[in-house]
Formats: sequence, C-alpha cells, structure tokens
Amino acid sequence: MPSSAATDPGEVSDIDLVKRSQAGDTRAFDTLVTKYRGRIYAMTYHLIQNETEAWDLAQEAFIKAWRALPNFKQDAAFYTWLYRIAHNVTYDWLRKKKIQGDGEFDDERTEHRVAAGAEATPKGDAAPDTAMRNAELGQRIQEAISRLTPEHRQVIILREVEGLAYEEIAALVPCSLGTVMSRLFYARKKLQEQLKDVYETTL
Amino acid sequence: MKAILPALLILIPGVNLFAQEKAAPQPLTVVKPATEGKVWGALIFATNDAAQLIGSQEKAPAHLGQLNDRLSKVFGFKHFEILGQHQQDIFREYESWVVPSRDLFLKIDSNGPADNGGVKLHLQVWREQQVLVKSDAVLRAGSPLFIGGPKWKNGRLIFVLSLERK
Amino acid sequence: MKPPSEDHDLIRWIDGEMNDAERATFEARLKSDPMLAKEAEELRALSAGIQAHLPAEMKIPHADFFNSQIQVRIAQMDLDESRQKQAGNTSLADLFLSWIRQPWFATAGAVALAVLGFVWMRPHTQDTSHSLILSSYTPGLGVEASTYHDNEADATVLMLDGLEEVPSDRKISGISVHRSETEPEVASTTLFDATGSPLLVISRDDAGHPLFLTNTPRG
Repeated sequence: MPSSAATDPGEVSDIDLVKRSQAGDTRAFDTLVTKYRGRIYAMTYHLIQNETEAWDLAQEAFIKAWRALPNFKQDAAFYTWLYRIAHNVTYDWLRKKKIQGDGEFDDERTEHRVAAGAEATPKGDAAPDTAMRNAELGQRIQEAISRLTPEHRQVIILREVEGLAYEEIAALVPCSLGTVMSRLFYARKKLQEQLKDVYETTL
Repeated sequence: MKAILPALLILIPGVNLFAQEKAAPQPLTVVKPATEGKVWGALIFATNDAAQLIGSQEKAPAHLGQLNDRLSKVFGFKHFEILGQHQQDIFREYESWVVPSRDLFLKIDSNGPADNGGVKLHLQVWREQQVLVKSDAVLRAGSPLFIGGPKWKNGRLIFVLSLERK
Repeated sequence: MKPPSEDHDLIRWIDGEMNDAERATFEARLKSDPMLAKEAEELRALSAGIQAHLPAEMKIPHADFFNSQIQVRIAQMDLDESRQKQAGNTSLADLFLSWIRQPWFATAGAVALAVLGFVWMRPHTQDTSHSLILSSYTPGLGVEASTYHDNEADATVLMLDGLEEVPSDRKISGISVHRSETEPEVASTTLFDATGSPLLVISRDDAGHPLFLTNTPRG
C-alpha cells in the first residue's frame, strides 16, 4: 500500500484533516495538499515525464479529491484514496493524448528532459566523482523508462516507486495478476537491454 | 479503333490512379473535439509615432466596436495597428493555442462554462519559449481582455482576447 | 523463450511475492542454474537501481502557487454551486451574502491573499457581465501583474510590468489565422489562413514548450 507520510500520529491527523475538509474547511484541505503534493507530483511526473503537464495533473487530482470528499468513507487511508484518484487522472490523460499507441516509443518523441533539481553531466565525459556518476545513471534510468509504453511504465512506477503489491497493482490498473507479472517482466527486460552496460554481470 | 477505345478507357483511370499515388499523402484524420465557444485574439502594436507603424490592413471584428479608442483609454497611446489575429475554438478537453504571432501568443485551457454565457479559462501568455504569465480568468462575450505586453520601438505590444457571442 | 510461469517466478522472487516454500524451491533452482542466477541478480540490481533513482517524492515547482490555485478553483466551484442552488428570483445581493456566510469563505480568501506575489481578484458578484482575472502568476523575475476592470474602456485589463523590452530592430510579424485543425492523436494543431493554406503547425516538446513547424506548401 502506498504509505501515508507518517505512521500512527500521521494517520490520526489525516483523519482529523479529512473530517474537517469534508465539513468544508478549505484550510484543512490545504494542509493535506501541502502534505501530499510532493508524492502525487512525483507519481504523475514519473508516469508522463513532462514537468508542466505533471504539475497540472497533480493539481487536477487534488481538485477531484476535493469534489469526491463527500464520498470518502475513510475505509482506506486518505493517501491511498488520493493516490488512486491521481493515478486515474494521469492515466486517463495518457490515454487521451495517445502518445504513440503500440510498441515502444520513438526515441526522438520521448527524449527525456532531466527533472528539475537533477544534475546533468554530458554523456561521454569522464565522471570520476561518484555523485556525478550517480546523477548520470539516474538520468539514464529515467530516459530508459521514458521509452516504455504507458502500460509498462505504469507497472514499473507502481511497483518500484510506490511499492505496491501485485494485487494492488492489478486492482488499480485494472488487470489480472498474470498481466501485472508479464508486464513487469517485459518492462524490466526492456530496461535491462538499455542499461546493459550498467547491470550486466559476468559469471 | 474500336479495340483501342476500351483499352484507352481502362488506361485512363489507371493513369489517374498512378497520378493519385504520386500525389501528396492523405492528411491525418481530423477530429473536431467538443468546444466551449470561440475566441478572437490579436497582437496589437501601440505607438505615439505613426512613422513606426508597419501599415497593417488587419481589422478588428465588428463586435469589438471602437477598439482603438478603448485601447487608448487604457494604454494612453494614439495609434494602434493589428499585427496579427486569430479566431480559435476553445476546446473542452484539449488546449487551444491563439497565435496571432510567433513572438507573442496564448495557450488556453477551458475550465468549463461560467454564468452569463462566459467561459472559465486557464490562460498562459507565451513569448517564444517563455511563459510571461499564467492566469485563471473568466471571459465573457462583450467584455474583452487587454493584456499589456512588452515595450517595443517606444511603443507597446498588446494582446486582445475576446469571447465571440454564440 | 521461457514459459510465462518461469518469468513470473523470477520477478515474484525479486519482488518478495513468494511464500517461504516457493522461495526455498526457487533458490534451490538458482543454485543449480548459473544462467538463471545471473539473470536474477541482474534484474534485482536493476530493480534496486530504479528504486534508488526514482524518488517517491519530488519538490513541486511553484509550490505556493500550486496550493493557491487549488484554493481559488475550490472557491469558484463552491460559488458556482451555491448560485445554482438559489432560486431564480433571488437578488444578487442575497447571493453575495449567502456566499460570504459560507464557512470556507474567510479561509479561502485569507489563503489566496496571503501568498506572496499573486494578484487575486474577487469575483464581482454584483456584476457578472464582465470578464475577470481570478488569479495570476508571473514566473519571471521582476515581472508584476496587475489587473482591474476599466469602466471607461469597458475592458478587463491584465497589465504586465517589468517585462524585458523587445529590441527595436527585432522584426515582430503577425499572422492572420482563419481556422485551425487539431489532431489529438499527435497532439498538434495546424493553422490556416483565409485562403485555406496552412500557416503553421503547433505541437509541444517534452518539456511542454510550444514547437512551431512552418508548413511548406504541397505539390
């Protein structure tokens, strides 16, 4: 399950904030927005790899959550419920845009821009410093993920970033457990191909 | 001669087909998405020096009566000319671009209808690759939006955006 | 190619989705199958790499504006809703009073106004015939936006001050667009002039910036 920002104390404060928001307290909702905007933005960004649109979609998710608050029964953690809304908003956007329907993306179309705050090192340059090597690897991983289809990118993000269990992924997508596993396997193999020099071991 | 005619009749469509295959490829299927209305956008150059005008013949639509006088009341210049104009649908689900010039243009996203026939918009003014301002607005017919842009040639570039009446 | 169940076993093992018995069986296989063990180790390292380099939380750009925009939209939504609920003969004054009596009014207004650098104009509920700027944000350093309704000009004004001046020798040219066609599949829009000739194609690059492509005449 995607975890809330804190454990027990966090849960208690979320319940209180949600109840107040449901009663129309926009300041309470604003606190929830501040608490979870970083995680929701990260999720939308990783899925669509576009800063501007991810920002708009994250905002859209919170607006939808506000509208849907009367229907939130608190039978799940607030963040889990919010996350589901954000995921659906983002995935609907991806489907609407229909970026390159079948197969892998065209490299030119999905050339990844480095996320804000990340260090960029020119390819091919010697990077003796560990931090620079790390930044370069991060960039390569993000580029490789951007080349996956939305369906494969989705399962990778849900598993590797959000840490969802297979059943949770299957319920969210929605699809069968077998499909989750097949997509995860395929996506990882594709990433492995592109990052061969990094992760290939010798027997 | 009689034998040649059927052959010609067969040949001619074949030639046409050949010509079509050589012609430009068919354009992508165009879908007209749902819209919230239409806007008219223009990039206007305002100046006090008539010699600076480029001599554009563009005219504002009739529903924007006395546009120059109204601009003068706000910006204080004497002369105005429309450098470019663009009438554009406001798409319900997609962004709309209003591009009277490559140098200064707008992106519009609909946020749904507003009362009195208005439209709620998120609009962004772009100057080449840079966003100058992001705004949430309500646009109503008969009530244009004047956006004061950058200075140019001792005058000013102004964007006018107007919702067309249905 | 391995059958799907073998692939599934591999990733289930990497992701800790096996029970104890399944894990013991699979690990025994790994010991006897060096190729499988190599593949498993590489995929495990890849998974760890992805987790290390894809943060679960990111700093959102323009965070204050993000929040204030949400508050403004919520306020607008609630205003629209309360207006719709009112009977037709209700006066605008009554509508305005019922709006300000809402519990969220003060907090929504305080939040929006408290954010630095923003201009927020409250909807003039007494007159809904004008266009309005509800909020605006200028990313550029030193640029300020101010907004007001000019009654004499009968126009709503959004004034941007502090913009970098366009050099006098720079040629600013306009185009006259009479219609456009949007192709959602490729997220692009073609602009046409009065004669139906294409002028420009607009698309977006992956950073979200507009991309202008000049359309060359065909044939």
